[in-house]
Amino acid sequence: MDKKINNARKPDTFDSEYMEGLDKLFKENADLAEFKWFLDEAYDRAYSAEHKKRDVVILGTMIPEELVIAAGVQPRWIIGGSLGSTAWSDDIVPRDTDPISRSVLGYINRPESDFSDTLFIIPLIRDSMRKIAGELRSKGMKICLVDIPPDRRDVYGAEKFKKQLKEMCAAAAAHTGSKVTRRGIVSAMKRVSAARAALRRFMEVSRGKAHIITDAARMLVGNSYYMTASLDEWTFRTEALSDEIEYRAGRLKNRKRSRPEVIIAGSPVLFPNYKVPFLVQDSGLSVWGTVDPLTMKSSVIYDKNMMRGSMDRLIGNIASLWRRYDASSAYIKNDVIYDCIAYLAGKGSVEGVVYHVLKGQIEYDFELERIESMLSKFGIPVFRLETDYQYQDVEQLRIRMEAFSEMLVQNRYRRERNVS
Amino acid sequence: MTAKTEAMSMKERQDRRFINRETQTAARYLRRLRELPGAPEGIEPFYRTLGRIYADMEHVESEGRKVIGTYCVMTPPELVYAAGAMPVKLCSGDYTAFSVGDDIVPRDACPLVKAVAGFKQTGLMPVYEDCSMMVVPITCDCKKKIAGMLSDKCDIMTLHVPTSRDDEDIEEFIRQLYVLMEKLESVIGSRITYESLSEAFRRVGYAQYELSEFIRLKKKTPYLIRGSHAMAIMNSASYMPADVWGRALHKVNESLKKSIAENKTVTAKRLPRILLTGSPIVFPNIKIPLLVEESGGIVAGDETCMGERGMWDPAVITDNSFDGMMYALANRALRPCPCPTFADNTQRIYRLKQLVKENQIQGVIYHVLRGCLVYDFEYKRIEDELGRIGVPVIRLESDYNEEDIEQLRIRIEAFIELIKLKQPAEKASFQRRSFLK
Repeated sequence: MDKKINNARKPDTFDSEYMEGLDKLFKENADLAEFKWFLDEAYDRAYSAEHKKRDVVILGTMIPEELVIAAGVQPRWIIGGSLGSTAWSDDIVPRDTDPISRSVLGYINRPESDFSDTLFIIPLIRDSMRKIAGELRSKGMKICLVDIPPDRRDVYGAEKFKKQLKEMCAAAAAHTGSKVTRRGIVSAMKRVSAARAALRRFMEVSRGKAHIITDAARMLVGNSYYMTASLDEWTFRTEALSDEIEYRAGRLKNRKRSRPEVIIAGSPVLFPNYKVPFLVQDSGLSVWGTVDPLTMKSSVIYDKNMMRGSMDRLIGNIASLWRRYDASSAYIKNDVIYDCIAYLAGKGSVEGVVYHVLKGQIEYDFELERIESMLSKFGIPVFRLETDYQYQDVEQLRIRMEAFSEMLVQNRYRRERNVS
Repeated sequence: MTAKTEAMSMKERQDRRFINRETQTAARYLRRLRELPGAPEGIEPFYRTLGRIYADMEHVESEGRKVIGTYCVMTPPELVYAAGAMPVKLCSGDYTAFSVGDDIVPRDACPLVKAVAGFKQTGLMPVYEDCSMMVVPITCDCKKKIAGMLSDKCDIMTLHVPTSRDDEDIEEFIRQLYVLMEKLESVIGSRITYESLSEAFRRVGYAQYELSEFIRLKKKTPYLIRGSHAMAIMNSASYMPADVWGRALHKVNESLKKSIAENKTVTAKRLPRILLTGSPIVFPNIKIPLLVEESGGIVAGDETCMGERGMWDPAVITDNSFDGMMYALANRALRPCPCPTFADNTQRIYRLKQLVKENQIQGVIYHVLRGCLVYDFEYKRIEDELGRIGVPVIRLESDYNEEDIEQLRIRIEAFIELIKLKQPAEKASFQRRSFLK
């Protein structure tokens, strides 16, 4: 990495965590030329001091950004993931607040931040988001709340959500000063569909190719969607990366699958706090994929039929498809994550599940019991990994993860012996 | 003995142990309440109700009507009464059920939800098992997830509580109330009519009228009633029909008026006046008000949702149509509510300042149940705001067990001492002599 940390201030935890993560990913994937662009995007996202006028910032990931893009602006995302930024919110939030919310609020309170001309779009998926919204409003910041109806059985739920999205779209348009048109929405739907399709393709082609791209690097590519300033370039680069991986995989065929494959489910793993994927790969496991709100979002791809009709119909289509795949913690039951894990388990794709629970995100913890009992029917073990953004627990987690890995190896050995 | 009978007897033993522990804890707290001096005449029906539900584990006295469980003050009881059923608040403060729930729900979930999960898991608490349906307003993450868990075990309906209180939110909530109305009608098998809803308004309105009278009397100095006794009265409202509760409260009010006439007070001493706010205080988890009053303070104000706040705001009908009544219910549930579920909850600060002024409060205890993040988030702002008007605030974090009682006692005693130091010394009971003359 030839980039230097912005010299305006002394490097701190935020910088060191970010740079260490990027450096490690760079070293592990140095041969992959197309991957470097994603590292640059991640770097620029962290150190870009540029604050555009009439900026639109989305807190978290669970918003259909196509409606913001239709309002003429590429949204900036503040999704958390950094231990360093949690330090900037320590005095504001209660002790038990989840690290993502801490990190999000910390990033907003970062000393060099300027959000004076920014509209914050806040999906109310959990209590802390609601209270962050109150905090920002009390500081006079411009906010737009998207209140997600928590019960999928609610007969008016889809309609309510559609109304929320319409209001969000109008708020973004009023802030940017552009007019939202039907054509603008269709164009945005096409662009995000292309990006999500590119991500899905990348995840498919890069699966099980740790000798070409590491699991943590694959996750960074997924995360970089929320770091890029140019959606179309990101799509183009992702396709190019997939092409490069396919080409290299063709040359290095017949690599025997040796590592047990797991999925990482539960709380989203966000860069720069990649201790979980690093631990998984260090323990001799291979990440088949992740089942979290970020991954499930890539399933929201619109077909031609969905892009027809009036503006009202288009927003209705976005709302209904989004609600079907929304795996956030906004619902009384997270059936999307449950069903996805059940599907993968039924297909026999995975040998174990690492269920990641960030401290304070009890919504994911609540789901664990039924997921565990479902997986036990398939004989798939679940490893509940509770952690926060601190690094003190890495060695303890490593010991547990290694034990889990050994158990999966034993399981595989036993299974193969029984078959033979 | 076969494995099956052995397993059954183990289950029976577990159930017996659960019942023993649960009833003993409830009986112990009821005894502590009874031992606290200064209880007004007429309080016995309230004790009896709490005793029936928790210490004797009996069914709710629903007068033959179906029982509908509710989890929050945002479920309008009027609708349930109008459908011909009886609403029962199921938020629980039970330590034994909490310990069962601790194994079922995540460690960091709040104890109230753990207790609910524990009761539902054991299936031993009649008040939970009697419910034909449960209404769960989604006010926090724990309520959201417990709604999901309960939906596997019983018929539930969720109410999506909006994050603000503007006209559109009220309209949206009204629509949900209409859905709730339909659901109640189908579960109970009777129709909600204009007349039945009006009658329900009268029934709840009477209880609220008596409550407002009670709160007026409670504000008097010197004190006519202790806060712990008042909390027992408020908690019992969850398990009594509103009119029965109102009539019982009327008797307490009469006895308080008699005390004024006879110049009878709880104590002649000037005790530090404490306001309780924060996470709900639900029987039998009344250790904090008891500790305050055992440590020489008096709980003069209560801003918790299982306390006075739960019934304080009456529904105001400005339009006599059926729709107008539904509007009044939605309006009452959301507009005056200082619940931290709302993104902007500035009105809670106004409400607290109002309570401080009206009740001459000298200190505020901010109760945070472990894991109750929404209340914890608001602590700092409230501490700052009350600090500006010179009212000290102490944050007490507690759980549903008795292990922290001594630590809480030390902190509460220190807080009360601090307030005593601030207030001018009381006059000596005898004439001071001058030795210099």
